[in-house]
Amino acid sequence: MAITIDRIADEMFEMVKEAQEVGKKLKPMDLQKTIKNKYDDVDKPMTKKAIKQLVDSGRLVYSYFGGTFLELPHREGAAND
Amino acid sequence: MAETKPRITDIGPPDYRQFLPPVIEKNYGQWKYHEILEPGVMVHVAERGDKVYTVRVASPRLLSLDTIRFYADVADRYCGGHLRFTSRHNVEFMTTDADNVPEIRKEVEERGHLVGGIGNSITSMVHTQGWVHCHSAATDASGIVKAVMDDLAEHFTAMDLPAKCRIALACCLNMCGAVHCSDIAILGIHRKPPRIEHDKLDKICEIPLVSSSCPTAAIRPTTVNGTKSVDVIEEDCMFCANCFTVCPALPIADAEADGVSIWVGGKVSNARTQPRFSKLAIPYITNNPPRWPEVTSAVKNIVDVWRQDARKFERIGDWIERIGWPRFFKKTGIEFGKEHIDDYTHAGLSFQRTAQITHVDWD
Amino acid sequence: MPKEYKTPQLDELEKGPWPSFVKEIKLAAKNNEMANDVLGQLEQSYDERLGHWKHGGIVGVMGYGGGVIGRYSDLPDKYPAVSHFHTLRVNHPSGWFYTSDALRKVCDIWEKHGSGLTNMHGSTGDIVLLGTRTEKLEPVFQELAEAGFDLGGSGSDVRTPSCCVGKARCEWACYDTMKACYDITMRYQDELHRPAFPYKWKFKFAGCPNDCVASIARADCSLIGTWRDDLRIDQDEVAAYADGGLDIFNDVVLQCPAKCMRYDAEKKTLEVDNESCRRCMHCINVMPKALRPGTDTGAVFLLGSKAPILEGALLSSVMVPFVNLDDEEEFEDFCDLVDEMIDVWCEEGKARERVGEFIQRVGMGNFLEAIGLEPMPEMVAYPRDNPYIFYEMEEEEELEEA
Ligand code: HEM
Ligand code: HEM
Ligand code: SF4
Ligand code: SF4
Ligand code: SF4
Ligand code: SF4
Repeated sequence: MAITIDRIADEMFEMVKEAQEVGKKLKPMDLQKTIKNKYDDVDKPMTKKAIKQLVDSGRLVYSYFGGTFLELPHREGAAND
Repeated sequence: MAETKPRITDIGPPDYRQFLPPVIEKNYGQWKYHEILEPGVMVHVAERGDKVYTVRVASPRLLSLDTIRFYADVADRYCGGHLRFTSRHNVEFMTTDADNVPEIRKEVEERGHLVGGIGNSITSMVHTQGWVHCHSAATDASGIVKAVMDDLAEHFTAMDLPAKCRIALACCLNMCGAVHCSDIAILGIHRKPPRIEHDKLDKICEIPLVSSSCPTAAIRPTTVNGTKSVDVIEEDCMFCANCFTVCPALPIADAEADGVSIWVGGKVSNARTQPRFSKLAIPYITNNPPRWPEVTSAVKNIVDVWRQDARKFERIGDWIERIGWPRFFKKTGIEFGKEHIDDYTHAGLSFQRTAQITHVDWD
Repeated sequence: MPKEYKTPQLDELEKGPWPSFVKEIKLAAKNNEMANDVLGQLEQSYDERLGHWKHGGIVGVMGYGGGVIGRYSDLPDKYPAVSHFHTLRVNHPSGWFYTSDALRKVCDIWEKHGSGLTNMHGSTGDIVLLGTRTEKLEPVFQELAEAGFDLGGSGSDVRTPSCCVGKARCEWACYDTMKACYDITMRYQDELHRPAFPYKWKFKFAGCPNDCVASIARADCSLIGTWRDDLRIDQDEVAAYADGGLDIFNDVVLQCPAKCMRYDAEKKTLEVDNESCRRCMHCINVMPKALRPGTDTGAVFLLGSKAPILEGALLSSVMVPFVNLDDEEEFEDFCDLVDEMIDVWCEEGKARERVGEFIQRVGMGNFLEAIGLEPMPEMVAYPRDNPYIFYEMEEEEELEEA
């Protein structure tokens, strides 16, 4: 059975979560490449859809530190209340 | 989160076609020629004879809503409710009625906005955010621009120069204003490596990312008093502030060390000579707010020497190419030092690799 | 009642003939606390010669990775109204044309939710709305959307494309820059709002080699108008310029970089060797009534310029010497080629590597091979002058076998 967008999204979410636990940030490209290498039947548009789903639902957010990353929502170091 | 309305996304910018003045819609792609009627005013004539008069007006770029509404009112009064901005932050009022031109001029001048910037003049400076908004600024942007243009305003409102002269400012090496191809570029520079806030760094930054952000590989992971942090090899730092963009625990701004550098001779137009980069004229001038007198006089000096010495059509870079860099330094009285000699990658290409020399009497 | 700050330093910048940004901030500060605290903090920056902002990396509107720049004051106790001061980039209409009503709508939204300070425009081209709080971002975004505006790019994405006034009001436009810019912006909405590139990618469209939007220096992807056929000459107008006192020999003929013009002073006629003409625009700039670009027009497609960060500044260089962007099919082909370039760069590029730097690292020859573009002499100023050619023998042998 072909892999679903939901499943790609879940896997991506886990990757970001695990990375964040050890203090690492992942770029959208890192996620796309890993998933594409893992599954033969996944193409770039599918990985883009999965990311769109993740950020539209608020499970992940984009961040910018000299380049764009995907992260779990959190309060950042520079923020003022 | 209960959403009442679906969110609107990805609609893109408004379609420009709804904003075009009727005379422009009608003659789109059908313009025949234009003439500059007086400084800041030009007329475009269409194949079928229609005319549109354009009045170009300086703005400070940083605008209050009052001033934008003022522009909108002027557009309503004289331009059928249409207006446009230029790539260098000027405002353009377009009207089909020549009688409106002096009226527009009067209104904007009463508000303190000059008319000009067309033809062989100095138009508004492309510039960046500076202390008004950016975290990595080595100098302010709006303040220097204001002071420099106050000094050069006479060349905005007249067309008395050998060619166009484009001046731009960026308040750090990131160059949001992409100033590196300007006749005169003012560039904010840091001169001290970042200070490392060891206590905060590991909490708010990702250390591998910080090390990899440095173009000269000057940043190494380390441990200080048991906490993970980084080390900066100071001799290797070129003060680019990349690390600070990536990591707020590496502040680089320093009141005593920061300042601006001045670059000359770049251009982007292909007219006559090819596009080229600006080259270093003055490596460092300390920040001296509110009016940066050393910067304004240095810029004015370059403009004045060029203006008097250049031949017709010679942009600053063309002029320097003809007279040679030694005479540029001689005539402007700018000191030449080791900072002027490139030592980055491919530096050798900028050395004088010929015996063709213009001899200058340095005594 | 907002605090009243003494601003002796900034007051100095209200003097002089050039329009004053300090006056603008003060106008806004009259009824906006954020603008008022900007004034206070900026005066302190002038005193100390130091900025007081922190970079906020994680603020934005839901679903978008671009369009918002996060900012916090590092003196939030002293200037509480700017403790958040996030900026929105709003995608401007092609050519920066507006109606007064459209501008007023943007003003009303910003009056309600922001500092009342703007840049018209940022150096990339967007309307820049300077300074609001995190919780205001979504309402501003949605109210702008209802007014027909969307956010522009920021981060590792397609940045807001921009263009010169082109055919709307310039007789030299060799293709419809405003349409090309709009069409590209609409086509790349996803790439503009959801960053997925190694770094930023900019498009700029200039209608002729005068390049009024500085595309050759400021865009990864520079489209600069040109023409393939002959310069159009109106000899009567040439004579009229001569009669009007223009020194055609010195000011036009001698200044031609290709040395391809000849002027007959007696007949007052001008002749151009069109095969040698480099389409530089000089003669046309000087005699706009007599000379015009030809009618077989299009654009040169150049790639790769960037500001110095990280590996030094680059100017864009020629990829395709001529493409007629007004032709729908050629426009599609152009977009396909761009997609191909972006794919290769996304696949192989390192983080924070602009496409120009990427090409320098992998070599132009390899890049061309990867995107399927034939090498052409138009791409170089001169051929290689060093002998270090990498031959890939194995591949060649494989090819021969196959
Ligand atoms: C004399 C005939 C020319 C005309 C009618 C003309 C037309 C224009 C127009 C309409 C703009 C506004 C562009 C926009 O915002 O979309 C502009 C700006 C500009 N042009 Fe030209 N152009 C001319 C010659 C040149 C030449 C010869 C150069 C370079 C050598 C040049 C370089 C620029 C630059 C850098 C700008 C930005 C200036 C500003 O907005 O104040 N132009 N020009
Ligand atoms: C995080 C702090 C930064 C702020 C607040 C900032 C702000 C801005 C703004 C407001 C603009 C104009 C945007 C527009 O017109 O849409 C801009 C453009 C630009 N920024 Fe930044 N910027 C930042 C960081 C950077 C960095 C890190 C780089 C490069 C490494 C950079 C390079 C540029 C360039 C090249 C442009 C546009 C130049 C052009 O199109 O001609 N900026 N920036
Ligand atoms: S040039 Fe540097 S300091 Fe200035 S606005 Fe851009 S990133 Fe900030
Ligand atoms: S300022 Fe630039 S060169 Fe210096 S340590 Fe930071 S990233 Fe490296
Ligand atoms: S780039 Fe050329 S076509 Fe575009 S406005 Fe400038 S002169 Fe006109
Ligand atoms: S466009 Fe330039 S190269 Fe061509 S004839 Fe005119 S001046 Fe010469």
